[in-house]
Amino acid sequence: MSLETRRSGKTQATLASEAIVEEEGRYVYCVADAREDMSLGKIGIEGYEVHTIPHKDICAVVHSCPAQPYQSDDQEVVEAWVMTHQKVIDAAWERWSTVLPLSFDTIIRGETEKSAEQNVKDWLKQEYEDIKRRIEKVRGKAEYGVQVFWEPKVIAQSLTSTSPEIKRLDEEIKTKPKGLAYMYRQRLENLMKHEMETKADEYFKDFYGRIRKYTDDVRVEKTKKAEPGLQMIMNLSCLVYRDRYTELGEELEKINRRRGFAVRFTGPWPPYSFVGGA
Amino acid sequence: MEPTRNSHATLVDLLDRVLDKGLVINADIIISLAGVPLIGVNLRAALAGMETMLEYGLMKEWDARTRARESEQRKKNVEPICIAQIAR
Repeated sequence: MSLETRRSGKTQATLASEAIVEEEGRYVYCVADAREDMSLGKIGIEGYEVHTIPHKDICAVVHSCPAQPYQSDDQEVVEAWVMTHQKVIDAAWERWSTVLPLSFDTIIRGETEKSAEQNVKDWLKQEYEDIKRRIEKVRGKAEYGVQVFWEPKVIAQSLTSTSPEIKRLDEEIKTKPKGLAYMYRQRLENLMKHEMETKADEYFKDFYGRIRKYTDDVRVEKTKKAEPGLQMIMNLSCLVYRDRYTELGEELEKINRRRGFAVRFTGPWPPYSFVGGA
Repeated sequence: MEPTRNSHATLVDLLDRVLDKGLVINADIIISLAGVPLIGVNLRAALAGMETMLEYGLMKEWDARTRARESEQRKKNVEPICIAQIAR
């Protein structure tokens, strides 16, 4: 999207100098654990030059831009922005080892008497202690995504053979006339739902316990719709010491090998899930 | 097993993180991003299978309960430093 479009609709300020300050912004990619005042080249969103804004031994990784959010209805455009956002953070991460990533489209603005650059500096200064604490939390670690799926059909089948109550109902249905069989089926479905949830609970606790051992911290995320035939029963973001991910991978492989289960293991991601909140 | 970060297969995982998470800046110095969640929502809707909809709707409540319980437990076990943060 061109600069023109992003700015359109914004009323022209009367004083030119004021307008410049008010309309400029700094798109913030991450805060890095480094005392650096430098350019990272034109690697930013839409080819903007990325530079650092230092304060003491930390710096914000930013690009200068108009104080307008990046918005588009074009999925490909947004996708490209998001990928670039990630690439810039990756570059900083690789270079300085510890970064606190920000979410896409976080832009610090200027004010009438304060430039955006100054606002970034003041923010780093003001939040210094908090930022340092967060940096220490994630130092030497990376985030991994762990998603556990089961095949409801396989689980239901095994329940039918192991739960006496389900087994009995399932057999009774076959002997009942149509109308009655319908009612029995309803009962069976309710019972099945209950038993499946109990099973999922058991597995969740079991898997969580095994995974937790290899992680420094865990966030339980909402489960998502899975591909047909699978159901996600667990979606975790795990903060893991960089040298422990292989052990985690081995534990996940054990779960992955079980009949009726599958595991998705993604990463390493910058520690997005462990730098926000309290 | 080895973790993957193949850019196409893990786009959704990336979006989950890049759009919703990260370090938070106090709202008074960042530009209004009212439209931003919308980008996320639209983009997600366009990518198959993004919405939180569980197969058969069977386990929706279970999922919510599990997460609530886990977050409760976390609160109980928080370290003092975190409590100070919450109180802030």
